[in-house]
Amino acid sequence: MSNLLDLVVSGLGTGAIYALAAIGFTLLWQTSQTINFAQGEFVMLPAFLMLAVMRAGAPFWLAILIGVALSAALLGLAFKRLLVDPMLRHGVLPLAIATMALSIALKESVKTFYSAEAQPFPSIAPSGSLSIFGASVSLQSLCVFAFGVVVVVALNLFLDRTSTGRQMQAAAQNPTVARIIGIPVERMVTLTFVINAVLVALASLLVTPIYLAKFSSGETLGVAAFVAAIVGGFNQVRGALVGGLLIGVVDNLAAAYVSTQYRAAVPLALLIVVILFRPQGLMGRAEERTV
Amino acid sequence: MSDAILEVENLVGGYGEMTILNGASFKAPRGAITTVIGPNGAGKSTAFKAIFGLLKLRAGRVLFDGADVTGATQRRLIAAGLCYIPQGRNVFPELSVRHNIELGLVAAPPDLRDGAQRVEAALDRFPSLRKKAGQQASTLSGGEQKQLEIARGLLLDPKLVMIDEPSIGLSPLMVRQTFDMLRALRDRGVSVLLIEQNARSTLEISDYGLVLELGRTRMFDRAEKVLADPRVVHLFLGGSIEGDAA
Ligand SMILES: Nc1ncnc2c1ncn2[C@@H]1O[C@H](COP(=O)(O)OP(=O)(O)O)[C@@H](O)[C@H]1O
Ligand SMILES: [Mg+2]
Repeated sequence: MSNLLDLVVSGLGTGAIYALAAIGFTLLWQTSQTINFAQGEFVMLPAFLMLAVMRAGAPFWLAILIGVALSAALLGLAFKRLLVDPMLRHGVLPLAIATMALSIALKESVKTFYSAEAQPFPSIAPSGSLSIFGASVSLQSLCVFAFGVVVVVALNLFLDRTSTGRQMQAAAQNPTVARIIGIPVERMVTLTFVINAVLVALASLLVTPIYLAKFSSGETLGVAAFVAAIVGGFNQVRGALVGGLLIGVVDNLAAAYVSTQYRAAVPLALLIVVILFRPQGLMGRAEERTV
Repeated sequence: MSDAILEVENLVGGYGEMTILNGASFKAPRGAITTVIGPNGAGKSTAFKAIFGLLKLRAGRVLFDGADVTGATQRRLIAAGLCYIPQGRNVFPELSVRHNIELGLVAAPPDLRDGAQRVEAALDRFPSLRKKAGQQASTLSGGEQKQLEIARGLLLDPKLVMIDEPSIGLSPLMVRQTFDMLRALRDRGVSVLLIEQNARSTLEISDYGLVLELGRTRMFDRAEKVLADPRVVHLFLGGSIEGDAA
């Protein structure tokens, strides 16, 4: 059995990946009431885009750039224009159902047009292990965790310190008032979709070396992101971060000390506990809507 | 230059199939406070939304400062000098007070250089906002939130301020302060178009009164004339002009 510190660090690594997906999920909900049930597949797909670009002969770094750009175009702009905008006119529920259909379509497309087999994927993080206080810790997990935290901090700085970021927050908190003072609400919502697409592309880049590129890998990721978002309060970037990290760590510890068989149940068990004792989420505030 | 800063003609529109505005026409004279009164559901707030491009009109025209702005974007209306402060709470609860106010600069012309000074001046004008500048706007009292909305709305020196029931939920002292401020604005040449339930006391500080009923203009006159009209007295007591005339 690995040591506790290593378990926690690798949990933080996967947790940071969950957090990226959960934050994107939360942003979409905040700005456009989109509950994206395809979020897991959104994390699965960019790795395949990058693999396809590499197959065409591009080096890894270029494949990353093109993969992120393609993700922004497809999972950001096209997703919003072609699916969210038309469906949202019919309501939040039809849109949520449409994203479920999309998740199946994405999964099946990758299976049919790329491969049903798991594909190896290069890692941007170094392998090997590091010795901390005599305990050995996976260097890759440590790097993944650090990278995830850097991305979240950068996103937070953007949201809080730039005028565009604050306009995005304003558009999410009160779209009518945002419009009244001249904030281009529609453009802010589009920007959120692009940011989500970049977040899932980065999550994909981090997670795929660990779990391989597989058409079905979005299933667990989607659940973890969804639960992380709810555990964190659903309407908070900070909450989604904490939720993601928490699930990553608890998940890993449970796998080691309880049983790997029950591993998939861990996020859901955590969800039930949080809903029972803190329905507004760990960091969330009770929902308040002003008209 | 017309003597009216705002002129609406024959506004027809509503929500979905429901028609709320039935051909309302009125003017807001320049440099004056005009108060819109009328029974609940008369379409006062809806008329404001229509003027500010938030409601699709089936017919009618909106002229602002001599230009046709029917269906214009909010950005364009703000740039033209129009400011709209809706009823209720219109702040971004989780942003700081200062950031809330700063967002009033979003639609500023690109050559505006003194944005930061304007924000400081706005905070100076409202000491309680200055004191809480770093706090989330959700921590403000109702009166302070209204002050924030007004401070934000005045950032770009609007020519006309349209404000919908600012006194709702405010203490009598805050109401008086708010009205004093609107009068001070008027004295600086800013035009004010105001909706109020508390018609009598509002008309007393207004220059013009406008009675809206069933989506139509029933009366427009100097405030003291409207105040003295026996039909309006009936309206104050909860009746309608329509019923009285019939
Ligand atoms: N968003 C809305 N959707 C549907 N009906 C509305 C909406 N807002 C107002 N109404 C209805 O339109 C009518 C006029 O409302 P409003 O303009 O707010 O009246 P007033 O401000 O004069 O009290 C009312 O009957 C009200 O119920
Ligand atoms: Mg009203």
